[in-house]
Parts: sequence; structure tokens; C-alpha cells
Amino acid sequence: MNKITVGIVDYGIGNHSSVRQTLNALEMRCRISDEPAVLDACDVLLLPGVGAFRPAIDALRARSLDRYLHEQADRDRPLLGICLGMQLLAQASHEDGFTQGLGLVPGEVVSLEAPHWHIGWNVVRQVQMDPLFRGSHEQAFYFNHSYAYRGPIEFQVCRTTAGEDFISAIRKGRIVGVQFHPEKSQAAGRALLRELICGLRDA
Amino acid sequence: MLKKRLVGVITVRDGWAVQSFGYRRYLPLGHPQFLAQNLDRWGADEILVLCIDRSRRSLGPDLQLLRCLGSLGLSTPLTYGGGIRTAADAAAVIQAGAERVCVDAVLRAAPGIVGEISALVGAQAVIGVLPLSCVAGELQWLDYLSGRSAPLAAADLMPFERHGASEALIVDWRNEGRPGGFDPDLVRQFPLHGVPLIAFGGVSEAGQVETLLGHECVAAVGIGNFLAYREHAVQKLRQRVAANSIRAAVFSGGD
Repeated sequence: MNKITVGIVDYGIGNHSSVRQTLNALEMRCRISDEPAVLDACDVLLLPGVGAFRPAIDALRARSLDRYLHEQADRDRPLLGICLGMQLLAQASHEDGFTQGLGLVPGEVVSLEAPHWHIGWNVVRQVQMDPLFRGSHEQAFYFNHSYAYRGPIEFQVCRTTAGEDFISAIRKGRIVGVQFHPEKSQAAGRALLRELICGLRDA
Repeated sequence: MLKKRLVGVITVRDGWAVQSFGYRRYLPLGHPQFLAQNLDRWGADEILVLCIDRSRRSLGPDLQLLRCLGSLGLSTPLTYGGGIRTAADAAAVIQAGAERVCVDAVLRAAPGIVGEISALVGAQAVIGVLPLSCVAGELQWLDYLSGRSAPLAAADLMPFERHGASEALIVDWRNEGRPGGFDPDLVRQFPLHGVPLIAFGGVSEAGQVETLLGHECVAAVGIGNFLAYREHAVQKLRQRVAANSIRAAVFSGGD
């Protein structure tokens, strides 16, 4: 079988090397680019993200990647958002004021209430049957965030409890977002990342 | 439930990983990347690399080391501290491969910059480092650049109260490197109860880890020298710590 090629959407913010190294360890090819022609040639698009929402969406817009991602969603191309990358998929965020997101998945990003931070390893519970997540129910993954997605139940796949209950994975067709970092979640994370990328490609 | 963390700490001086004793004596351990690979393989919850000479020598963050660590394909979260002076430095550290940053000298010299850093990389990615001692029931904050300690004032903690930093790394600098030496009063006396703490410096024993993690405010313990002495030290410690607040050992390894 041909190697899967994952296109990491490079908008100048975030830590691409971790994701790239993990994908390489999973024997996947990886392209990091902001050029449509390069990303068009990939099997799955991956939107990473570490940091604050507003600078990230501004950076996407500055490179016209917001438009590109909309076009790819319209073409039903597979897209995986990780951490802030998942939040960017939503319609808007309330981090540091109100900021419009990509709007690829209905819902908004709101502050965690108590505790304000969610940093460390926590378990995800599958709340909607989805073959991509079947091996990850009750597995622990690494989280590092203070905002979380809130949206319609039909897009919720996994939830996590940390003081309050929040949505830790979402899906709309071939668009998937995970609030945690599978690339930094050791064996469980690598297994899920493989499942997600292979599953999205074949979905 | 959010698990509490066992953080493997790698202290780096002049590019080399060292065993550090009380912020004044150092013994070489080798290349930081080998220690990082071990901690990754042994299942640490997080790896913290502290470059202790970057601020002192005004060198800025060690991006070369970070790129080297980033190229290893570690599957464990990486936090970096040392030499971060600006928000741009912090962003460069994240882009070079770290998930989180520690701010130390800037916390004292220009606390307003901590807010700028958190605005750019997200406050959840920012840890404030506080080398402390407890003298006659009073917390003293060490200025490690001058070597002088002064009482920890409420104003010193504004970056934490205003959500510029999400966690505080409490370093028992006097007992760093001394087995079982961490002074629990540093945790008991810490005045901000809503700030998650990482206890570091003289943390070595399973019972001590259990006790520290038993404090609601302690989110993690940092362990440095003591993880460098034996193979699979993290997993062995996990097996000995009788607390379901941490992740269970993922595998068991022999010496």
C-alpha cells in the first residue's frame, strides 16, 4: 500500500516538528506548507496549533489559508485539527474577546470555568459511536488548554471531565478535531493518530 | 479525572545536562538529548528542560538544543525554560519544539512581559518559576542572578493572579539534589491557592511524592537527578507511588 501523505497546514504558528516526527514514526509522509499546490497533493490535511486563538486565525487569514480550507471542506477533503487547530474549526472563539473562526464545524470556543486550566493527562470518553475513536475510549491523552469547544450534540464524539465536562473530540463528516495532543500522548496517542489519519483518508 | 504529573527535569548548563546541587554545585550527566530520550521511553508525563545559564549570560533561549530535541520525535510533552526575555522568544521556543515555556528572570525583571507572552502563546503554555525557601515561616524568593533572597510579596504574584501564567514551578533551591529534601512548607505556605503548583528540588522518594501530590494545589512533582540513576526510573516510581491520582505504569522494566 502507498504511504499516506499528510499535509500540515503551515500558518507560521505552532510546533510542527512534533507532529511531523510522529507521522514519520508512523511511516507516513509529511508535507509542511502554506501553498495550495503542495497541500492539494496530500491525502489528509492536518491543522496543528499551540497558542492563542486570535493570532492563529489572523495568521491563517494573512496567508489566505482560511479560504483554502473552506474550499477543501467543500470538496470533502479529510481534515484533522489538533488542540488549537480543533478550536479554529469552530465558528467563533471568546478567547481574548470575540473572534470569528473558520466555521467548518458549528459551535463556539468558550473558557473553561472551574478550574480555569486543563493541563496534563486525562481520559476521553466516547459519547457517540465512531469507528475512528473506538480504540481510544477511556484512554488518557495529554491536554494543554484553557478554552474548549461548545456546540451541537451531533458533532460531539468524545467528552472529558476535569471539574466540568467538556467536549474533547468533534467530527463533521471528514473533518475531525481533537482538543488533546495525540502526538504528545505516547503509545495511546500514536495509535489514535494512525487510526484518525488512515480512517479519514478511507472514510 | 485529570491526572497529576511526574515531570522529568533535565538541568542544562553550558549545553550539558548536569546534576545540580543547591544551585551551586554541578556534576555532568551527558548530552541532554539522551536523557530526554530516556524519559520519553520510560513514560514521564512531561519533560522539563531548564537551561540555567541562559538568563545569567543574556543568551536568550537555546533554540539549537530545542531543535535537536524536536528532531528526536519525542512523544512526551516538552517544556522549556531558560533565557526567555520576550514574547517573541517564547513563540520561538514553541516553534522550535516545546509545548510550554518557563519564565524565570523575566518574572522578576519585567512581569508585564509575562502577560504579553501569554497573549501570544496562550496562558496555559506559561509556567512561572519561583526558587523559594521558607525561613521562620516566611517564604523567600531567590533572585538567582544576584544570589539574594527577599520575602515573597503579594505583588510578586500578580502574573499568576492575572492569568499570565497557568502554573508555578516552586523550586526548593536549597534542597535541590538532596534525597527527600523538598521542604513541604513551600507548598503549605504558598499564598495563592488557585494556582496549580509543580514542586521541584529534592523530590526523590515515593512517599514524599504521594504526600506532595496529596495537596490539592500540587498538580505535579518535578524530579531531576534522581531519575538519572537507574533504568526505567519513572515507571518504577509510578509502581511505588500508591496514588491513583497519577497515571499507572504503562509497562514494567527491569534494571
